[in-house]
Amino acid sequence: MKLLRHTALLLWKDVRLEMRRRESLLTMFFFGTLLLFVFHFSFDLAPDRMVETTPALLWLAFLFTGTLGLAQLFEAERGNHCLDALLLSPMDRGALFLAKTGFNVVLMTLVEIVVIPLFWILFNLRSWDLIPLLFLIVFLGTVGFCVLGTILSAVTLKARARELLLPLVLFPLMIPVILATIRLMENVLRFGVIGDAAPWLRLLIGFDVIFITVGVLIFDRVIDV
Amino acid sequence: MLGPNGAGKTTLLKLLAGLLYPTQGEILFDGVPLTRTATELRAAIGFLAPSDHLYEDLTVAENLDFFTALYGKSPPKAAIHHALQSVGLERWSNEYISALSSGMKCRLSIAKWQLLEPSLMLLDEPYGVLDGSGVDLLEGFLKAQAQKGHIIVIASHHISRVLQLCSRALILHQGKLFFDEPRQQPWESFYRAFGEFMPHNES
Repeated sequence: MKLLRHTALLLWKDVRLEMRRRESLLTMFFFGTLLLFVFHFSFDLAPDRMVETTPALLWLAFLFTGTLGLAQLFEAERGNHCLDALLLSPMDRGALFLAKTGFNVVLMTLVEIVVIPLFWILFNLRSWDLIPLLFLIVFLGTVGFCVLGTILSAVTLKARARELLLPLVLFPLMIPVILATIRLMENVLRFGVIGDAAPWLRLLIGFDVIFITVGVLIFDRVIDV
Repeated sequence: MLGPNGAGKTTLLKLLAGLLYPTQGEILFDGVPLTRTATELRAAIGFLAPSDHLYEDLTVAENLDFFTALYGKSPPKAAIHHALQSVGLERWSNEYISALSSGMKCRLSIAKWQLLEPSLMLLDEPYGVLDGSGVDLLEGFLKAQAQKGHIIVIASHHISRVLQLCSRALILHQGKLFFDEPRQQPWESFYRAFGEFMPHNES
């Protein structure tokens, strides 16, 4: 109960700070949109190749956009040694992990709400009825990305070239999430259902659950590194 | 707690605050080891770092609201107003921290710890940013805490100020404790040790 109360308090603080600064969300939104236009003008995809290419392009846009968000994740805590102020408090450090993960999920979801329909329009995809299912898959992938990203963002917090280091460490570890999301989206676009890609869905859910649990348990050590 | 630069004063304060953990030995607080999981124990420890530990893009009142809630305390608005009034910041309650001077941030930190009432208060060089009335305010706060039986540890180079307040002095040098004695009158041993380890400082 205390963990959830502290998580809500920290999450609300981050949302309030973002509403005032509008740094992360605007940057992520413009970058995500920009990437879509770059993809749109760079690839002249034949309709039969659309299904196998578009999920990877879309997820690539989310990966890069999400990395921008992760780079800013502890920015408020870096100023005035506010991280020390949080670590001094009686808060369970798992709450900090959950709040930061939750905050990044909120940011990425807001960006995705705009980017996915825009992607549909730019690439002339007609199956609008599939969007809710694709949103669910993207959301699960986003949670996986944010969970692992928050852990690694905390690990690299005191590193000198953290903006460079973070994607180098994060992307290889994200391969299961990327593969699962792309395979699932491909299946949904091709057949309209998850169908025989269900094992990828289980992998994605398993990844999310395992890393959320691991994050809560180890974050007190991770944040001290 | 005195000592030349690099003696280990801030490191020791951070160890006592639970911001660092010892590679050897352990820190006991009322017999309870201060470990990563000792969350309840941390509520009893305060650390006043002048002009630090405040969110720039939250207002003065929001910072107090946030940190008191984090410590599981939700003082009424009147208590927050009173704390701000006591440090002369009541007119600034809706201003962002970025609009405050270093001295005002330190005053706000004093108000924060007034509301949180830790039983161990650690202070790292608190005099540097305060003006005359700020120093009086800080010392008034420390004396009030001491009267309640709370422990106060100050790391400072302002010898004359801390000597008036302290009941015990420690001198650190190169990470080692060289002097640890309760206050006496006269205090020859202190001045001897002080002259030995900090020969260029005020005495």
